[in-house]
Amino acid sequence: MDTFMQYAWLIPLFPLFAFIVIVSFGRQLKEGAAAVGILFTAVSFGLAVLTFWQRFQEGATDYRFSLDWLKVGDIVITMGFEINQLNALMLLIVTLVSLLVQIYSKGYMHGDERFPVFYQYLALFTFSMLGLVIAPNLLQIYIFWELVGVCSFLLVGYYYFKPEAKAAAKKAFIVTRIGDLGLFIGICLLFWWTGSFELTQIFDSIALGKLEPWMITLAAILIFVGAIGKSGQFPLHTWLPDAMEGPTPVSALIHAATMVAAGVYLVAATYPLFIASNAALNVVAYIGGFTAIFAASIGLTQKDIKRVLAYSTVSQLGYMMLALGVAGAAGYVAGTFHLMTHAFFKALLFLGAGSVIHAVHTQNVFEMGGLWKKMPITALTFLIGCLAIAGIFPFAGFWSKEAILGAVYEAHRYDLLLIAILAAFFTAFYMFRLFFLTFAGEPRGKHEAHESPGVMTGPLLILALLAIVAGFINTPYAPVFGDWLLNGEVGTIIEDMFGTGEGHAAAWLQIVALGVSILGIVLAWLMYGKRSIPSNAIPEAMPWLYQLSYRKYFVDEIYHYAVVVPLGWLGYLLNVFDKYVVDGLVSLVAKITRGIGALHGRAQNGQVQSYGAMVLFGLLLLIVAITLTAQGGGVLGIGQ
Amino acid sequence: MTGEFIAFFVLSLLTIGGAVFMISFTRVVHMVISLGITFISIAGLYVLLGAEFVGVAQVLVYSGAISILMLFGIMLTKHDASDEGTGNTWKNWLSLIFVAVLFGLMFWGIQGSVWPAPPETAASDVSNVKQIGLDVFKKYVIPFELISVLLLVALVGAIIMAKKEGNKE
Amino acid sequence: MSVSITSYLLVALILFCVGLYGALTKRNAVVVLISIELMLNAVNINLVAFAKYGLYPSITGHIFSLFTMTVAAAEVAVALAILIALYRNKETVNVDEMDSMKR
Repeated sequence: MDTFMQYAWLIPLFPLFAFIVIVSFGRQLKEGAAAVGILFTAVSFGLAVLTFWQRFQEGATDYRFSLDWLKVGDIVITMGFEINQLNALMLLIVTLVSLLVQIYSKGYMHGDERFPVFYQYLALFTFSMLGLVIAPNLLQIYIFWELVGVCSFLLVGYYYFKPEAKAAAKKAFIVTRIGDLGLFIGICLLFWWTGSFELTQIFDSIALGKLEPWMITLAAILIFVGAIGKSGQFPLHTWLPDAMEGPTPVSALIHAATMVAAGVYLVAATYPLFIASNAALNVVAYIGGFTAIFAASIGLTQKDIKRVLAYSTVSQLGYMMLALGVAGAAGYVAGTFHLMTHAFFKALLFLGAGSVIHAVHTQNVFEMGGLWKKMPITALTFLIGCLAIAGIFPFAGFWSKEAILGAVYEAHRYDLLLIAILAAFFTAFYMFRLFFLTFAGEPRGKHEAHESPGVMTGPLLILALLAIVAGFINTPYAPVFGDWLLNGEVGTIIEDMFGTGEGHAAAWLQIVALGVSILGIVLAWLMYGKRSIPSNAIPEAMPWLYQLSYRKYFVDEIYHYAVVVPLGWLGYLLNVFDKYVVDGLVSLVAKITRGIGALHGRAQNGQVQSYGAMVLFGLLLLIVAITLTAQGGGVLGIGQ
Repeated sequence: MTGEFIAFFVLSLLTIGGAVFMISFTRVVHMVISLGITFISIAGLYVLLGAEFVGVAQVLVYSGAISILMLFGIMLTKHDASDEGTGNTWKNWLSLIFVAVLFGLMFWGIQGSVWPAPPETAASDVSNVKQIGLDVFKKYVIPFELISVLLLVALVGAIIMAKKEGNKE
Repeated sequence: MSVSITSYLLVALILFCVGLYGALTKRNAVVVLISIELMLNAVNINLVAFAKYGLYPSITGHIFSLFTMTVAAAEVAVALAILIALYRNKETVNVDEMDSMKR
């Protein structure tokens, strides 16, 4: 019964087809491009649902298909696709979020001049992301990895006439490129050592002990560097908040739900590589944990609604990395589980934020307020998203976050546990700070806010529903999802390594996590909702701490002075070198040529007699040459 | 010192002298007169070489027709009937150097070449003119007819080009 | 002793060089034409001289020089016609002012 899985390769092709159609007929379609994109993505989604459903059946096995692409000597490079649990899940998430975002964009982007272009990019992105998640080998992963990077670049720079958007697009591209380089080197090393790009063959090589431990560690860390770049982990996180210059639906799709999760997906997909090296796992865990708390603490003070969400994304991705890094079946399940729930509620939050921005035309939360009555659906769904991300029972975030905490606790990593709990507190606080500032109180800006059209609120409602119920597929009492996820080949490898972890926290941990979140919410309510604690108390008490957070720990400035400025100087020097040495040589050649040309140009004076003199000169040269070369002398060889 | 040599010496002196004077004179009448002297001397050289028919043709065509044509050309195009001299000097010097080098090379070539001894007596039993006539109308009849066509074309072309363009109506 | 072919060739060479110099330096187009005629005459002298003293003495040299004369006559006629037409349009026969090929 592999029928649908056999046709899973069609899933990415529908958005590609949509892309081609919109590219070809974009001008004619105008806003009808949305219908094309939505239609084809809906078909993809339907197929993804069927594939997922089939994979979810009892006794279903992984489906793998490949055909030879290149034969280089003895090495055969293949292309193909693979459907295992993780892939099927990702297919479902990506198609669903993409579909909802495209529906939403129909309302959000209405009236935009480059409407079809937007849908082109969205379709291309959807194709690339789907191609990424069904790729069975690292080479294919890398190709699509770069493609999603390009789409991200295009979409962040969608408002290319805004200098900030241009800069942000460049930054997104260049910073992720650093990570991509690491990934590329990692892939090359793995290919060198194992002779294959195929994930399964690489896993087999590791299982057979063909690789030295240091090789595994190095390769795993290099692949993780790629994930750091894509998922905005510290220290390459700086591009993600800036990427919020793109249209909000893009932020929801690419920079919250799917592409940034590609890093987490990559680590999960190559998980057998990571669990073979403790050092690599520790790197993943500590970078993830640090990023979680670091980004959360920046999120506390930001004023831009989308930037708060962006830092929240970075923080949550750090959470996932942390979960993957603490190892074990429980961590793997928890990380993937959180990836899924996060995709839903973060997309919800971004789309909600987009709805708010659409209504009030500002992104500064201090100019909003009092929107609860004016935009009830948006407010309600946003509240659900906030509750979900804060980890309040029984929303999706509660279950996934609690799974992560449980996994960390079971692995006896109490330092990381502390970080995770603290990050959870921060998360709850800044999310509800955002919520109260936006929706509660009195309106502070001069704007006529009104509820967004149904085409925008519809996706919000669907996502809100998912944010509520998605968690129930993996409760501690019925870990359906976890069991299913560990049922595949990768899961078997993990279980061989660590045994089946229960992966769910003890009851007291659940209560602690819940308590911490509620504490954060209450604090936010007191400061920004009820205002019984003046919200500027802390900034005034500890201005340096506030500045540190508000200015994002000066990471951008550090990069600017440590990397950008020296590189700028280097570029300046090279430019001077180029201008005066290289260009000098070139222009010297040019000047000489031009001089000779001018000389000849003057010879071409249009006077017959000058030409005659030239002809005579040529004749003389000819005679001299013949005379000199003729053997035995005598002009023209006559008379010999 | 044969008579032939004296005749050759005088004729070549007149030829070259006429040419040099023609180049160096500025007044048109003088130029044409020296040109005529050159042409006639050349005709004399032809006779000396035993080419009486060519010599006569030379006198008829060059000394008669072409000199007068040149005179007409100069008179029709010039108002003051005198040459305006030569152009810029460095070009003249360059031309002079080139010509001198050519002369040197050719002179060296001519002097360095070995020539067959001149035949003792030219075959003079058949008249020169008659032999030319026989050859032209037997061997070279097609070039001869082509030349006549060429002359006709040149005649018509010259008339058309020299005609005033304005009086077409 | 009769006159050698070298003497005739030298006379022709001098005549040719004088004509060449005139053709390259004179400004008046008619004089340039005359100079070209001089060069043609030098060639004719050579032809006739070779017809008598050359490796293969024959009458062909005479015929060839006759042809040359005919062509030269045609050339002069056409060239003068062109000059007159040009003079009517440009009011000049100076060759260094005839540089319209350049423009």
